[in-house]
Amino acid sequence: MYAMVAAGLALMLGVARLINFAHGEFFMLGAYAFWFAYRELGVPYPLAAVLAPAVMVAFGIAYQHGVIRAILPRSWHVQLIATLATSIVLTNLAIIALGTQPKEVPTVLSARILDVGGVRVAWQRLLVLGASVVIFWALHRFVARTRTGRAMRALSQNREACAVVGVDVQRVAMVTFALSAALAAAAAALVSPLFNIFPDMGTALTLKAFAAVVVGGFGYVNGAIAASFLIGLTEALAGSYVSYAYKDAIAFLVMLAVLLWRPQGLFGRRLGI
Amino acid sequence: MRLALALATLLFLAFSAGAQAPPIKIGFASAMSGPAAITGEGVRWGGTLAVEEINAKGGVMGRKLEAYFADNKAQPGEAVSAVRKLADVDQVDVIIGQTHSGACLGAMPVVKEIGIPMVVESCSHPKIRELSGKGGNEWTFRVALDDEIMAYTFARYMAKQGVKTSSVLAMNNDFGRGAATAYEAAFRKAGVKLVSTEFFDPGQPDYRPVLARLKRANPEAILGVILASDGAPFLRQFRELGLTQKVYARGSLASAEFLHQVRDNPRVGDGVVEASYWITGLDPDWDRKWTERHKIPPRIHGSLAAITLKWAVVPALEIALKKHGKADRASIRAALTEVDVKDSPLGPIKFDANHQAWINMILIEMRDGQLRILEKLPTSPAFLN
Amino acid sequence: MRRASALGFAVLVVAAPWLIAAAVPRQQRYVLHVLIFTALFAALALSYDLVVGHVGSLSLAHPAFFGIGAYTAAILATAAGWPFAAGLLAAVLVAAVVAALVGVPLFRLAEHAFAVGTLGLALVASIVANNWVEVTRGPLCITGIPKPALGSLAVTTLPAYYWLALSALAAVVLLYRGLTTFRLGRAFHAVRDNEPLAGAAGIDPLKYRLLAFTVGAGLAGGIGALYAHYLSVMCPEEMTIGLTVNLLVIVFLGGVGSLRGVLVGAVLFTALPEVLRLAPTWRLVIYGLLLLLVVVRSPEGIESLLRRAIGARAAR
Repeated sequence: MYAMVAAGLALMLGVARLINFAHGEFFMLGAYAFWFAYRELGVPYPLAAVLAPAVMVAFGIAYQHGVIRAILPRSWHVQLIATLATSIVLTNLAIIALGTQPKEVPTVLSARILDVGGVRVAWQRLLVLGASVVIFWALHRFVARTRTGRAMRALSQNREACAVVGVDVQRVAMVTFALSAALAAAAAALVSPLFNIFPDMGTALTLKAFAAVVVGGFGYVNGAIAASFLIGLTEALAGSYVSYAYKDAIAFLVMLAVLLWRPQGLFGRRLGI
Repeated sequence: MRLALALATLLFLAFSAGAQAPPIKIGFASAMSGPAAITGEGVRWGGTLAVEEINAKGGVMGRKLEAYFADNKAQPGEAVSAVRKLADVDQVDVIIGQTHSGACLGAMPVVKEIGIPMVVESCSHPKIRELSGKGGNEWTFRVALDDEIMAYTFARYMAKQGVKTSSVLAMNNDFGRGAATAYEAAFRKAGVKLVSTEFFDPGQPDYRPVLARLKRANPEAILGVILASDGAPFLRQFRELGLTQKVYARGSLASAEFLHQVRDNPRVGDGVVEASYWITGLDPDWDRKWTERHKIPPRIHGSLAAITLKWAVVPALEIALKKHGKADRASIRAALTEVDVKDSPLGPIKFDANHQAWINMILIEMRDGQLRILEKLPTSPAFLN
Repeated sequence: MRRASALGFAVLVVAAPWLIAAAVPRQQRYVLHVLIFTALFAALALSYDLVVGHVGSLSLAHPAFFGIGAYTAAILATAAGWPFAAGLLAAVLVAAVVAALVGVPLFRLAEHAFAVGTLGLALVASIVANNWVEVTRGPLCITGIPKPALGSLAVTTLPAYYWLALSALAAVVLLYRGLTTFRLGRAFHAVRDNEPLAGAAGIDPLKYRLLAFTVGAGLAGGIGALYAHYLSVMCPEEMTIGLTVNLLVIVFLGGVGSLRGVLVGAVLFTALPEVLRLAPTWRLVIYGLLLLLVVVRSPEGIESLLRRAIGARAAR
């Protein structure tokens, strides 16, 4: 789950060189979109899981038009504050519109359990794992093969040169945002049957995803994905064997240690996806 | 003509006298924003509903009530702001609330300084009892049971059921930490061996690491200090990992809120025994009104705020009006010490020297996806020593 | 003329308790409480602006230093029985020393990495405050922190506390001006505006950044101590990243790197919402939108908008 959210964040950072503090709120909104389709409208699960990302693509485009377009050429201070402000607005609007009562969206798969030699896993978790692999593969193909994907890569390496050759920076940024919003929503649709949906859910996630992006190397998508698994694993191990209360602290300390040891991240070269 | 005029004057006087009796202002303080906003939303709903209900019956001895609300963000500093706003700007006569122990502790010195009575509806920190009444703070009263009282009562019950070893699993906040400390001592006294203590952050989606630790510790029973919002993923993962321990709970695990969230698979909670002092069903009339208005089951904090108003504050207002002919802050405070309600939905409400009410502790069991009240245990200061 | 109006303003601010008592006698205590919060927040925002506005390092670790100071003072006052002044001094020193220690490695990081690194630090600090129960009492909070006393002079009433907060703010303002105007200030700005050039001119960027970071942290620690003594309780909830968001709003809404701007921001953010009494969630929505609008449209903040408006009228 971290991996998918972090991948979106890394994509944005890599391509647009922009830290999007509102990314966790994309995840939250995606989860609510999924809840609305699945629970309130009664759309079957697979369809709802596709619908949520579709809605979020539209939202990502709107966000790019409304906010990002204006701040893209500006200093990174401005970008950071603007996205942080967006995150505050979205969280509190969600509280006003949807209330603070957590929403539950269990599916058939989340209650059914696979038992292999004493190791028990809910089917939904396996679905998450399988779907992630497929989505990452598709993402990789998209970035590597398509014209837009190549433009994204080019942009991440040298923005000025791209502008000179005639790549439309804003358009590529828009695609990037739509894509990362869709990734967040897909992650939300996959994992929310296991957890709860509530307005604050994005905030903590943004921070974890940041840690992954930093550890993985700034804006380096594959690095971020690998780092996400690393952080998830660190947390799980620290939680089971050291101290559950301190597991988040340990995850962030690992992040700090990596930062200080290799400021460019574990897998990072420089910016570039 | 003259007679008519005189009558009209008389009527006018009578009306204006009636209109002049100013309303009694009740202030509610809880977390209305931030991550804990769910509690404050409940308090706002419950407070509004209870005040409407009382006013519809003509108020308290002819005086209408007026509700005011303030946000403490579940933080001590903001609780100070909330008390000052209610006391100085809204000029309320009595405060109900704070809901969160940290906020209660922050508010206590200020209510004492200002001299305004505060009736605590649900902060469960034992220190509040120590500090109130003869403990030095004459202005703070508490209806809710605290963790120490509940821990000693619950541990006695668990020991009677034959539990020899238990782990504590608590949320990592004021409530959970306070409860965990209380159970460590209470288990010792009741002869239950404490195997391990674990904390988790509320709102956390993944309980598998902590469940794995519990599995290794392998106690006979687990005492979980956990809320309904965390309970659904917790119990689902508990079953997923195949744990078989008997779950005793504190918080709101066995609650209508929880069953509402797991309505696809309500039996996931079967066997859980929860200790509490409030549950839907204690006051069916209230449950019906709340559900009609808000379309969801009654929430604990909102209902507690309403009960506190109806069964502790209103009786005090009546005493104050009868005895002193007025309901200002000092006479309400004096009247609160005399409140003696035998049959509130929570049990008896009578504040002792520490301004603590010894209401019933209820045991609730989930069976076949339904809640039922297992037992109502009276509490007593004698359990503590 | 300007000096006269400034003097008038100062008299007004100092005499505020009496003025309020005369104007709204029933609400005096509430208004004073809001003013105390405003003064403390203004001072905290200024200490933050030293780092963000003057050497251009977007640190997100400020709540950590605020909390370290508050806890140092709270623990020393309750467990060790230290007098207020000593605890305050200790709070400043401990926060500054921690900042200096973590600052050295952190400033090796470039922009984004620095921001995220400091964010990590703030999170770790708040998790530790929550879990190191033996020392901080965790979420059970430290209670019974005594009211401050300087020698025989005890600060017990609200007006007295208001003046104490005001003196603290004045001290921070003086230090802020001292650090940002003279040669030192020029060096700070050189580092902020063009690091390579500053380096070429013989200014060691790391040294100046670290200086601003340490001083800012020390001040935050001192203000944390005042805050804890005022409330008489200290809980981990007071040092979450929510505080960073408030500070960012104050500093960026008011005007980065400008004394008046930050003060305006503090008043706008702390006092105004209390006066307007907006519903809390709507308040945050409105602040978020305002912040968005300001950083996108006028990055210098509201203060410069006001100045421009006044300037335009004066020119006419």
